[in-house]
Amino acid sequence: MKRSPVLLAVLAALLVLLPLLVGNYALSVATLILYFAYTGQAWNVMMGFAGQLSLGHAVYVGVGAYAAGSLFFHYGIGPWAGVCLAIALCVALGLVIGFLAFRFRISGVYFALLTIAFAEFTRIGFDHLDWTGGPGGMFLRVAQRDTWDLANFRGPPLMYYYAMLALAAGAFALCAWLLRSRAGYYWQAIREDEEAAQALGINTFRWKLLAVAISAAMTAVAGVFFAFYYNNLFPEQIFHISRSIEIILGPVIGGVGTLFGPVLGATVLTLLSDGITEALAAVGWEIPGIKQVFYGVVLLAVVMFLPNGIWPALARRLRL
Amino acid sequence: MDRRTFNRNMAVIGTAAALSPFGIARAQAQKLKVGVILPRSGYLGFIGQSCQKGADLALEVIKEMLGVDIELMNADFESNVDTARTRAERLIQEGANVLVGPFDSGAAAAIAQVAEQRGVPFVINIAAAPQITEQGYKFVFRNFQTAGDIVRNGLDLIGELFQATNTVPRTAVYMHVNDTFGQAMTKGISAMLPSRTQLPFKVVDTISYDPAAKDLTVEVSKAKSANADFLLLVCRLNDAIILRREMVKQRWQPMGIVSPGSPGMYEEQYFKTLGKLSEYSISNVPWYNPKAKLTQVVEKAFKKHNPKDNLVFHGLNAGFTFEAILIAADAFKRAKSTDPKTLADAIRQTNITEKMTLGAPIKFNAKGQVEGIGSACVQNLNLLPTVVLPKDAATAKPVFPVPGYKKA
Repeated sequence: MKRSPVLLAVLAALLVLLPLLVGNYALSVATLILYFAYTGQAWNVMMGFAGQLSLGHAVYVGVGAYAAGSLFFHYGIGPWAGVCLAIALCVALGLVIGFLAFRFRISGVYFALLTIAFAEFTRIGFDHLDWTGGPGGMFLRVAQRDTWDLANFRGPPLMYYYAMLALAAGAFALCAWLLRSRAGYYWQAIREDEEAAQALGINTFRWKLLAVAISAAMTAVAGVFFAFYYNNLFPEQIFHISRSIEIILGPVIGGVGTLFGPVLGATVLTLLSDGITEALAAVGWEIPGIKQVFYGVVLLAVVMFLPNGIWPALARRLRL
Repeated sequence: MDRRTFNRNMAVIGTAAALSPFGIARAQAQKLKVGVILPRSGYLGFIGQSCQKGADLALEVIKEMLGVDIELMNADFESNVDTARTRAERLIQEGANVLVGPFDSGAAAAIAQVAEQRGVPFVINIAAAPQITEQGYKFVFRNFQTAGDIVRNGLDLIGELFQATNTVPRTAVYMHVNDTFGQAMTKGISAMLPSRTQLPFKVVDTISYDPAAKDLTVEVSKAKSANADFLLLVCRLNDAIILRREMVKQRWQPMGIVSPGSPGMYEEQYFKTLGKLSEYSISNVPWYNPKAKLTQVVEKAFKKHNPKDNLVFHGLNAGFTFEAILIAADAFKRAKSTDPKTLADAIRQTNITEKMTLGAPIKFNAKGQVEGIGSACVQNLNLLPTVVLPKDAATAKPVFPVPGYKKA
């Protein structure tokens, strides 16, 4: 019997039962882990599978969040319609970025710079867009409910946890399917050697655009979640490059191009962050910024000793 | 009822009666646990640490004032809104009776949702987005001006400055940092300035600049060529320093530099870096009353905790953080309970007349917002930010037009 499905089943059961086992704080941390696992998975489609480095993925989170948030804020239209609009807008945006880059053969570092540029000028654009609140932010009306209102995506933290769990599980399943589909094999061929893939008759332009579109669509959904979970959006925060870095850190640490990598990376990073806080509090070190130093040292160690990420090494060790 | 059942029931009643005093003792908490959630690291770290100084001194000052014991539970949200949310959850789980913080509107909005969901009172020390108290929350309170109030008070103080110094500047050149804050301020100024009839000046040019600018030669040159009477400035710290140096370099000497409500020119680094060139810059900001009795007490405690530091450089941050904890402690004293709902009801009934910051007594309106918080016209005099207006709080007279930098 293969170990991977067993491991997956145990993990799924644990995550479903988690709210029964832990308190509210742990649940909010778990929601955060799942959020980063999901967005990391979305980014992984573009970089891990198709080899296109995006450093501006926050643009899709932001546009998705603002699209659904604006519909709700101005017209009272719930997030289900909002998510459709968010996906449509982000796919269109991704296709524009992809078209410009791939048509003019912008690749590697220059492609990464282009994605940052788009995120930046979108941020500046939203800063000047009064309809979405401009720099003062957009605040969605919050209704505190103990019951689950799925139509308006309003409810207790438990609802958001399960919603994020469903999204992360869905993204995992989708990526597993994609990786074994024709698209997945074409993307991996493009990632390894684009010229060789072209020589084999793969329309690299089209398949790269597909990767960008799927990645953008998935990230847009994360944006809608973000809008309705936090209920406030500021261009300065949501489009900031640090948000893009947060998205990519999970898969980079966990293992780029792997299915478990983004999940493991997000878990390790979030728990590490909170673990260091706890450890420092336990020893009574209240030095501002010391946590970031420890965090940086640990990340450095992972990158130095496990350059392909944690998951490939762990999978080898567990013989998965 | 048989004898055995009777005996058992009596035993239960007897045990309950014997234990009841302990139960009462538990309900009447002796200590208020205050979760102080601030950005002590990250890009807001400097301000978060400044706020923390106000929290640290609150323990002994409040104990002396109200006889209330407070336990601080400090949390650093690392200038990250996700972390702010989880830290708030953590503090509540660890038993915080009330939350205080966090200096940032995005983080405040995130914490507010957690506080409301868990039914724990949250007193905002500093965060200006008006929407936070427009959500119909029952456990969220703010003792700070909204963004609109900051601009309104800042502009009104400019009028008072002109009146107090018998000056009538006719023109101004408006320079602002081109970031979220700068643009929000610009919108507020553009909306309010035309209706301020007591302000006789006309803005002849508006110049924006990058917050990360390393050189402002062109911008200052353009502003100088506008030949305006004074400079109306919305800045942050680093750009304010660069701009002031450039003004000296280009020998531009307007009647003065006046900020209608931005940080930068009253901060310690501004004085340390510019020395005498920092003199006479004016900032109209929410501030503390240097003449208030409570200020003297806080100042003494501040000196004890930070012997090498000066309260005046942390006035806004430490002052409003201290007051947020004071509000919680005052409510706890009246409520005699840490029950969140009772505590929130007590906060709603707050009426603190002896306060440190300027303005009306601390009273919350139905939305949980304190109205009538005042601003001060703070002018840099003798290398210290000094309150020059309003008159009843002033410790020096305003100087306007300002003398040339060579005479400073």
